[in-house]
Amino acid sequence: MSKTLFRATIAIILAAAVMAATPRHAAAPEVRLSIQKGFGEKVIVSIPLFVGSGTGGADAAGIRDVLSFDLANSGYFSITENVEFVDETEEDDRRSGGIDFQEWLALGAEILVKGTFEAGLSEFVLEATVYDLAQGKGIFARRYTGAPADWRRAVHRLSDDIVNRLTGETGIADSRIAFVSNATGSKEIYVMDYDGENRKRITRDSQIAMYPAWFPGNERIAYTRYRGARQEVYAVGVESGGTARLTSFPGLNAFPDVSPRGNEILMTLSRDGNPEIYRVGSDGSSPRRLTFGRSTESSPCWSPDGRRTAFVSDRAGTPQIYVMSVSGGTCERLTFKGYYNTSPDWSPRGDLIAYTSKIEGVFQICTVDVETKEVVRLTTGPAQKEDPTWASDGRHLVYSSKTGGKSDLYMIDIYELDPIKLTSGAGDYLSPAWSK
Amino acid sequence: MRRGVAFLVIGLAAVVLAFSGCAGDRPVEEPIIEPDIVDETTALTGDDLPLAEQPEDAIYVEPVASVFQDIHFEFDRYNILAEDEVTLGSIARWLEENDRVTVLIEGHCDERGTNEYNMALGEQRALAARRYLVGLGIASDRLSTISYGEERPLDMGSTEHAWAMNRRAHFVVSE
Repeated sequence: MSKTLFRATIAIILAAAVMAATPRHAAAPEVRLSIQKGFGEKVIVSIPLFVGSGTGGADAAGIRDVLSFDLANSGYFSITENVEFVDETEEDDRRSGGIDFQEWLALGAEILVKGTFEAGLSEFVLEATVYDLAQGKGIFARRYTGAPADWRRAVHRLSDDIVNRLTGETGIADSRIAFVSNATGSKEIYVMDYDGENRKRITRDSQIAMYPAWFPGNERIAYTRYRGARQEVYAVGVESGGTARLTSFPGLNAFPDVSPRGNEILMTLSRDGNPEIYRVGSDGSSPRRLTFGRSTESSPCWSPDGRRTAFVSDRAGTPQIYVMSVSGGTCERLTFKGYYNTSPDWSPRGDLIAYTSKIEGVFQICTVDVETKEVVRLTTGPAQKEDPTWASDGRHLVYSSKTGGKSDLYMIDIYELDPIKLTSGAGDYLSPAWSK
Repeated sequence: MRRGVAFLVIGLAAVVLAFSGCAGDRPVEEPIIEPDIVDETTALTGDDLPLAEQPEDAIYVEPVASVFQDIHFEFDRYNILAEDEVTLGSIARWLEENDRVTVLIEGHCDERGTNEYNMALGEQRALAARRYLVGLGIASDRLSTISYGEERPLDMGSTEHAWAMNRRAHFVVSE
């Protein structure tokens, strides 16, 4: 995302009145809000405690915590800090039965989110209204209904709707991250919410499972597993846990990456005697070889338009990132700094490729611009970081970071560079893959 | 398990003790046999004994574990080192003499590379060993490869010695 694009999109804001619920990621309202922000400037949001009651995990404080984290993490919002004044102003509103817009403005807020919730035994219902304080008007209102266990997800959806309706950008709060953990002693595939919550084990192979990659629709994950003395690529259903074997060629069956349309998979096979990039059907059929040579070709990923791939090759003597058409042909080398550049992932926006680069003996996360080849280093410090994966907003990355012999997953905003630790507890957390 | 089969082959090899001049450069342990004390006062007789039957194609089979030694690699490299060529030669000779045996070659790396690149590098190490053996005349369909990347270190330490031990190709024999 270019900085000018950001400036253009954040300037959008406004709807005439409270709107009925519309589908997620609906087009931004045509009328513009009064708020204009430059790059990096935040829209200030006040979130009083939602009114409601019920059983189960959801409560007013928890809902506010999740919504505050989501909005602040999006990069577009900051939350008014003085909770005491927020709560007092909300109490005044409740007593008067109205909204004192001047009081909320006096807190420094530009946007106000008010809501109610009902956490029942069989259902969780959340209703929220978002106000433009300067105009004293509602922007939109929505109701979210789901199972009690999905209350966090309802709040994540509210956050994504706020991001989308106020900035035109895609929210990432209702997304998930697949990863590998050895917490049970064997490496298995897991899935968690983007904020590290609701961890769920997906595979039960009791061998080594690696390199998860989402199919479009986020219902299935392709991955590499060991079965006996073979390496194979499988697909597993995230809810069902049902598996299907896709490839079982001699040697490597590694690094699957599913095409944007879901009909093909890029991977590395060594069935012809050397690790090469192949393109196979999504059921593992008709492998088509894309690279030819004696060097090591690995870690292919799709460009978001499905036309190109970025991958790693040591053809110049050290591992570097290259780009080529998925029809094969000539390659273009993208990275020239450093002697060890691996594990590329192509931004959903198409402009950047994130990768792992060894800098002064430490693996760091970098991006390279596909057109200009400009490299930006995103991480610092002595921890060994690797395997970046993009969120669908093209702004956030998750990667693994190893310190003291233990790996955990971190999320970073490429414009703010403030890593947040997502995992904790026993075991290593590796090979993250962000849902599409 | 493949390892179980390997031990079985070792056991057989220990039983078959017919010799041919194929000991390689490794010392072969010979059992120390104490000579019988001959009682001088007994009358000396000599009787023919039946010869132990030797199968016609009996050959010397060197214990598998001593033939199939790990070979090692330099950091981020997969070329075969000169010091491992004797080991690969012995493996090729043994495979020639035991032509029903197949071998799985595992490629391994130390922990220092990235996870994904190590997976590819481990495969290259296994493939390099395979190519060398094919060059010595072993049929390629008897030699399969698998990479474990950095997943199965032999030495869990983070020392130069541990890393050197972990950068290896390991041979698993099966029949």
